[in-house]
Amino acid sequence: MEKYDIRDGLHYSREHEWVKVEGNLVRVGITDYAQRKLGDIVYAEMPEVGKQIKQIAEKKTREMELGALESIKAVSAVYSPISGTVKEVNKALQERPELVNTSPYNEGWICMIDPNALNAELGKLMDAKEYSDYLVKLG
Amino acid sequence: MLREIGVTNVEELFADIPPKVRLKHGLKLPPPMSELDAKRHVKSLLSKNKPFTEMPMFLGGGVWPHYIPAHVRSLVQRSEFLTSYTPYQAEVSQGMLQALFEYQSLVAELVGLDVANSSMYDWATAVGEAALMCARVTGRKKFLVPKLMSPERLSVLKNYTSGPALEIVEIGYDGVTGQLRMDELGGKLGEDIAGVYIENPSYLGFLETQVQEIAEKTRGAGALFVVGVNPISLGLLKPPGDYGADIAVGEGQPLGNPVNFGGPTLGIFACRNEQKLVRQLPGRLVGMTTTLDGNTRGYTMTLQTREQHIRRERATSNICSNEALCAVAAAIYLTSMGPSGLREVAETCASNAAYAMKKLQKVKGLKVPIFDSPHFNEFTLKCVKPELGIETFNDRLLELGVHGGTPVQGEFPELGETAVLCTTELHTKEDIDKLVEAAAKAVEGKK
Repeated sequence: MEKYDIRDGLHYSREHEWVKVEGNLVRVGITDYAQRKLGDIVYAEMPEVGKQIKQIAEKKTREMELGALESIKAVSAVYSPISGTVKEVNKALQERPELVNTSPYNEGWICMIDPNALNAELGKLMDAKEYSDYLVKLG
Repeated sequence: MLREIGVTNVEELFADIPPKVRLKHGLKLPPPMSELDAKRHVKSLLSKNKPFTEMPMFLGGGVWPHYIPAHVRSLVQRSEFLTSYTPYQAEVSQGMLQALFEYQSLVAELVGLDVANSSMYDWATAVGEAALMCARVTGRKKFLVPKLMSPERLSVLKNYTSGPALEIVEIGYDGVTGQLRMDELGGKLGEDIAGVYIENPSYLGFLETQVQEIAEKTRGAGALFVVGVNPISLGLLKPPGDYGADIAVGEGQPLGNPVNFGGPTLGIFACRNEQKLVRQLPGRLVGMTTTLDGNTRGYTMTLQTREQHIRRERATSNICSNEALCAVAAAIYLTSMGPSGLREVAETCASNAAYAMKKLQKVKGLKVPIFDSPHFNEFTLKCVKPELGIETFNDRLLELGVHGGTPVQGEFPELGETAVLCTTELHTKEDIDKLVEAAAKAVEGKK
């Protein structure tokens, strides 16, 4: 199996988004696995600041969508791993969407969210070890 | 064969059809004809028609007859254009893609905006798409339109916007000039307005003269400004992009496309080159690029992720085919006319209308035009003689060998017994003089 970059200290969703707790806010992005599966990102559709967002669940709805990432011939929705209010979006992606490919855990972050049920929801996400096992199972 | 399928006679095959709806006798048809006789027969039936080309015709109202140079038709009927399907495969569709790219470039230049798509179905659907685009870009749900906009286009607009539940709000007009009521516009503009739409020239033919002010007010409220045009008028008038339009729509039929029962039509759609707009643009877009060595130009559909075949139900529009052949005809027409040719056509249209209005104003019992504003190639004619309806007036014109204008009294009862008349470069002075003469007789009820 290919080797993917997985960072300790982050929380991972089954849809391959990551969450990093930073004080009262959380930073959200997509994983190295996700960016490699999508291929070259050419456009990032970002949420509006102030948007109310729900944590991704089994049954996906529009309220769980943060935006979309476009590669040349496909568009994939980005789901929110945490419920809350969008506080800030990564403006750098407007001009340089490829940052999602080159630096998915740093410069390629998607947005900052003010969470409204952080502790309860973190429990539904995976840690680095669990996510690594999850990827092995996906093959 | 009957035996093979297990029935004894043909009647049995129809046993399920109730006897009372069955025909009990043979069809009452004349005896069969030879091919030659059939042709003669059909020709004699057709000769009862009166084609508009055989008498002066002043119908417009959204589809306009213009002269189409012969080479437009012969080029557009080449099988490479006529039979080509959506050019998904750029490597085998360079000719069609280039033709559509040329069309887009010509339209963009004509309306004074940066980006044009490779067509919508018609002006009406282009307005519908524009309203939806305004809502997507602004996240707002109300769209302002002039009360005097074309009723057919308004109906399509309401249809297009009913699903996403946009609210279409009408803005009234000045009773003397027909111009948009600026106080009403100001009162209705607010943080809930996605876009403001005007038609210029208007459905009734007059020009909206407050465009700059409307653009500023609209922009001030954070809404998008959408302008609908007859593209021929842009040979003479300032393009919408020059007075602040974010989106321009219009009817491309007068650009090299004929009038057959009102079509085929061609929806023009263009916008400013701003990422938040272009990303929400409906319809097909063809782009040009160069090969890696920089020596060869190539054409391909671009920004396809907006479209249905990739984004499915989240596409910016449900349009998948477009009016490609009509767009190619428009491109050939515009290329042939050039800026000076288009200006000449526009000037002739406008001066014919001015001449017709001036002459008709002298006919007692008519008010021409009903609004005191400048006009392009269409104008209103109102029967003010008591008990003379516009339909009767038109019927009398027909008897005198003139096809009158489009009655609008049903659509705008408050305007009275009124029709919209259109003149183009096809009308001669004699045609217009015949109209004026016939109009004078029709008012009096003379034959």
